[in-house]
Amino acid sequence: MSVPLKVIYNEESTKSIGNDLRKVAVQPIVNYSNISKSYGDLQVLRNIDLDIAPGEKVALIGPSGSGKTTLARLLMTLEEPTSGTIEVDGEMLWHQKTNGKLVKANEKHLHKVRGNIGMVFQHFNLFPHMTILRNVMEAPRNVLGLSKEEAVERAVTMLKQVGLANKIDAYPAQLSGGQKQRVAIARALVMRPKVMIFDEPTSALDPELVGEVLEVIKAIAAEGEMAMLLITHEMDFARDVADRILFFDQGRIIEQGPPKRIFNNPESERLQTFLSRFNRH
Amino acid sequence: MWNWDYTLLILPQILEALKLTVSATFVAFAVALVVGLILTLARRSDFKPLSLFASGFIEFVRSTPLLVQLYFIFYVLPEHGLSLSPFIAGVIGLGLHYSTYLSEVYRGGIESIPPGQWEAAKALNFTPLETWRKIILPQSIPPIIPVLGNYLITMFKETPVLSAITLVEIMQTAKMLGSHSFRYLEAFTIVGVLFLVLSYSSSLMVRRLEVRLNLR
Repeated sequence: MSVPLKVIYNEESTKSIGNDLRKVAVQPIVNYSNISKSYGDLQVLRNIDLDIAPGEKVALIGPSGSGKTTLARLLMTLEEPTSGTIEVDGEMLWHQKTNGKLVKANEKHLHKVRGNIGMVFQHFNLFPHMTILRNVMEAPRNVLGLSKEEAVERAVTMLKQVGLANKIDAYPAQLSGGQKQRVAIARALVMRPKVMIFDEPTSALDPELVGEVLEVIKAIAAEGEMAMLLITHEMDFARDVADRILFFDQGRIIEQGPPKRIFNNPESERLQTFLSRFNRH
Repeated sequence: MWNWDYTLLILPQILEALKLTVSATFVAFAVALVVGLILTLARRSDFKPLSLFASGFIEFVRSTPLLVQLYFIFYVLPEHGLSLSPFIAGVIGLGLHYSTYLSEVYRGGIESIPPGQWEAAKALNFTPLETWRKIILPQSIPPIIPVLGNYLITMFKETPVLSAITLVEIMQTAKMLGSHSFRYLEAFTIVGVLFLVLSYSSSLMVRRLEVRLNLR
């Protein structure tokens, strides 16, 4: 009899119940509703529906070109959906209501809603003409309107958290890839977003530098408050950090669930095939 | 034959006129820098009428001779109530003409910025204006400084055309000295040597600047 008990109370199932409860009780921080995206004839996202709860860590896995990155880029307003709506913290992202009619959002509206979202890019995209400190403090100073002292203090705290307080006067070109990405993480975190996107944060790194970046992301995830959308090919990392895994293929969410269920008992054939490629090495 | 006494006699007058030539160059260059940047940004605007106007203006100015533009500004505008001094008309004409070339230089600088920089700026929620001011222009300008410097030199050598609208710069001064004394050799030689010395030394400075910027 102890075996079924163990199953019922194992960590995974409570996690997933917790998620379901949150979904019922709390307004999602991100809601994709019937989202599609096409480039000409190429449809990269097909009618995606997705809720992310506040503080939830969602990992997107799947083959290259399956639409994961596009899904994240729509949320960051780097690309516009072809159809469907996205809500962030209860507010339309790409649309706004004017005289009761739903119209395309203007820049002012986008600016307001976008403030809830942060993003870490595959290729870091640090500002090469600024020191590390300025990379991190420039947005708090200009976008959030903090005083110089406050912005510096917040930036230094963040840089300490990613272990780079000793590099504040360096320029990005003087850092290793792993250090660059840690600065990029600090730069995004310092804005205190409610949702943070990590778009393949370790894909451009030399293998020996992947670990330090994943450690930093894990530590941030452990703090809990912020929702995360993680696009990754690091399956062990996804398993450790995520509350929920989404498997993408050909612009659709093929399968989703708690990490253990997804990795141990994949249901769809496509997910099984996808995972077998990782298990082999 | 070359007369040194005469040369020394007219040299101060020509050097005096050189001041006007150099200041016309710098003022016109400043006009070109500012208007060129405005044209570049206007052409990239999402607001179609603005970008079409900017492209049209650039094409128009580049496809007509500077001399015609100067005549138009100096001789035709007064008929419509806008009288400008030769200096003002000259720097506006020269400045606008070269602004279209500098606009092309700016464009190259801006287009060399990787899209990731724009995306990072957006992800940090910088406004478009902040993105230009803090992220894009500070990265686009330094690499094009040598090219801008070469345009400054080209504009300097173009200033004699301003004598056509009665600006008494060094070429006009030399011509007047010649017609007074019927000696042209010394005056025009001095003008040529002055242009050579200033242009060549400036181009050496631009080259050194280029090396330093490349090292960074």
